[in-house]
Amino acid sequence: MLNIKEVIFSITSKCNLRCRMCDIPYARIEELTTQQWKGVIKDASRLGAQTVVFSGGEPLLREDIFELISFTRASNLNACVTSNGQLIDEPTAQKLSASGANVVNISIEGKRETHDYLRGRGSFDKAVCGLVNLRKYKVESTVASTVSKYNYKDLLYVLEVAKDCGATTVRLQPFNIIFLKDHKRKKEFLIDKWDIPFAEEAIKSFINKSKEYKVAINPAGYLLKIPEYLSGKNFYPDNCSALWYSCPINPNGDLFPCWIEGANNKLIGNIKTDSLYELWLSDKRIRMVNSIISNGCKGCLMSCYDEAFDHKLFKESVAENVKKIKKITNRRKIMNKIVQSLKCQITRLKLRYKFYVSYKGSLSAIVVRRLRSAFSRGRILKEDKQIDREFILSEISQAKRKLKKEMRGL
Amino acid sequence: MNIFREFETNLSYHFAEILEKPIAKPCWIFLSLSHKCTYNCQMCGVVNILKGYELSLEDVKRIFDEVSGWDWDFTIVITGGEPFLRQDIFEIFNYARGLKLGIEVVSNGSLISQEIAEKIVGSGLKNIAISLDGAKEETHDFIREKGAFRKATQAVKLLSAAKKKAGFGPQISVWTTIMKENVGELFDIISLAKDMGVECLVYHPVIVAQEDMQNTSPNARFWLNDVDIEKLKPQIDKIVSYQKKNGLVAFLHDPYLWIKHFKGELTKNEWKCNPFVFTNIGPDGEVRSCGSAFGNIRKLSLQGCLNTEEAYRARKIMKNCAKPCLQTCWANPQADSLSGIVDRLINNIRKSKFDKKSKKELLSDAFSRLIYYEELLQECSI
Repeated sequence: MLNIKEVIFSITSKCNLRCRMCDIPYARIEELTTQQWKGVIKDASRLGAQTVVFSGGEPLLREDIFELISFTRASNLNACVTSNGQLIDEPTAQKLSASGANVVNISIEGKRETHDYLRGRGSFDKAVCGLVNLRKYKVESTVASTVSKYNYKDLLYVLEVAKDCGATTVRLQPFNIIFLKDHKRKKEFLIDKWDIPFAEEAIKSFINKSKEYKVAINPAGYLLKIPEYLSGKNFYPDNCSALWYSCPINPNGDLFPCWIEGANNKLIGNIKTDSLYELWLSDKRIRMVNSIISNGCKGCLMSCYDEAFDHKLFKESVAENVKKIKKITNRRKIMNKIVQSLKCQITRLKLRYKFYVSYKGSLSAIVVRRLRSAFSRGRILKEDKQIDREFILSEISQAKRKLKKEMRGL
Repeated sequence: MNIFREFETNLSYHFAEILEKPIAKPCWIFLSLSHKCTYNCQMCGVVNILKGYELSLEDVKRIFDEVSGWDWDFTIVITGGEPFLRQDIFEIFNYARGLKLGIEVVSNGSLISQEIAEKIVGSGLKNIAISLDGAKEETHDFIREKGAFRKATQAVKLLSAAKKKAGFGPQISVWTTIMKENVGELFDIISLAKDMGVECLVYHPVIVAQEDMQNTSPNARFWLNDVDIEKLKPQIDKIVSYQKKNGLVAFLHDPYLWIKHFKGELTKNEWKCNPFVFTNIGPDGEVRSCGSAFGNIRKLSLQGCLNTEEAYRARKIMKNCAKPCLQTCWANPQADSLSGIVDRLINNIRKSKFDKKSKKELLSDAFSRLIYYEELLQECSI
């Protein structure tokens, strides 16, 4: 568990939009220089990372962004840019394509009115324009959306925009409080308890439509949790692996275990003084991650650990592999493939179990907790079962008897 | 109310809830004409929502026309905001009077002058309720606005004087919200109200903000903490003993439930709301009981709104609501259990002065009613 999968750089805190759901202060901080970022990228590649995500603020506001992207590609890493799409005109798209960016992720919140309300007037048209320009220069584009009270009805529209503009993926993520320092306004974005069924329906139709349009989305298990989360419920993540394999870095070089913990001012170290390589392998980081896990976190439902909600069963995944194998005719090859996939599954399960234990305590503790919750659930069900047909019918017959008795009394 | 009619309504509420079908019509129709108000009270957030919306006179008339055709006992309560801010309020009263509808009004009394008081008395209302949140001027003024106490008491006095002069008129009542600030004065309000000539006094516990009816968190500003609950107990004892002797106070539910309500221990067995009893029409025309909207009165009739798919869904959520809120508008405790309904009928029949034959007829009618619902139950799936 010492390998990085994903490095997330918030390379600048400057932004050209003032969105409603985000009031991160745009204070002037001393950002890392180009050379320093390059050093971080080098270290990430040494640590076995696969992807570098350039995020912000608005990353395209930094002038050396294209240089950084091409350096990332040169060190055998995938480069992904998260942008609001306002600055992607044709020359920029061309530059992105030339520098070799793999994926550009553009936020679209909903219909024009919704998007413009949330992000500022005119921003929708520019974002869509950005998507179109990217398609022109053959850069893969994806669409991201922050689901909140304002836009959960517009999700299908987002999907249509994504399809029309040639985006390959739509990624949803529920609104999160850490972007809003003003906690009074937090309520503005959460949905009411009684709107949960509507939101669920919206998400279900979103999932169905995505299959039709052939647009990739987050795992369904994750998406279906969004309405409940938005109504104010916290999710205790079963197996949030983001702590182990992803690594967020601030514009001034601070390295956090996770964005949420970063908001709580938990700091591993700074890139300016130590290199990423040292920090990542330091005891401090491992101790910190372990303490977060043992103390338990509130659960954020950020899309960084959405795979944890993908309940693809062992059987199904084997069947999928067998389907692939059918094309191969050589028997030995088939056997090899099967054994390989089994091995792969077993190691995955092993890792998962290790993780589970470190997260939730030993197996016996888990069993006890599960049993307790099952019993309490049973009790609640019993109370709710009051409205039962037999019960009502017996009540009616009792009432009838009472009336008959009264009649006889007369 | 006719004995058998009461039995029939209670039965239909009871079975409407079980079968989840709108076989019962609402008995309270709240009509919020607009959310404009003369005050900005601290416990009320209504002023801030649905700004700029207002039910037009045509819409109100259309609702009245439809509702007057119902074969059902119900009351229309006109609320706001402050209803007397509307220029056409007396036209609305007159129209309802022409259709013989029972109308009640809830006001804060800030706009009721001598002239308007006389007009109100002559307008054929059933009831007018003025909100009064404290026996002391400071308390009421702190919650509402400076001078509010003087205006409210003045309004009540003017109304009772006008009623005396005319010899007829609406029932004059006072509504008090129980909250942290006034918990020590609840009993004193009774004597104040009696001096002013009030005929009915209603207490109801605070809900935190009307934007969010379900918010009953103990951290809320006006919510009673443990110290205040200790203060509330003797007040309830005094009020109950006074009510037994002299009347005046009208309880919509057992007052000792307030303690449980504020402690957060109220369970579904003690207090349950029936989703069919209450309907609210907002200034934007959205029809709802509690929670999400059923439909809009500008597009559908009221009966149509109660029949929409959204209405079914919203009522299902209401039925499973785990947080009883003890509001005066919701519940119909008489419709809670079947045995209670039948007992009530039998008691009423015993008390009545009918001869034996008509008593027997009533009972057999009730019997056939029960059989009807039994058959309905077997046909439908729950």
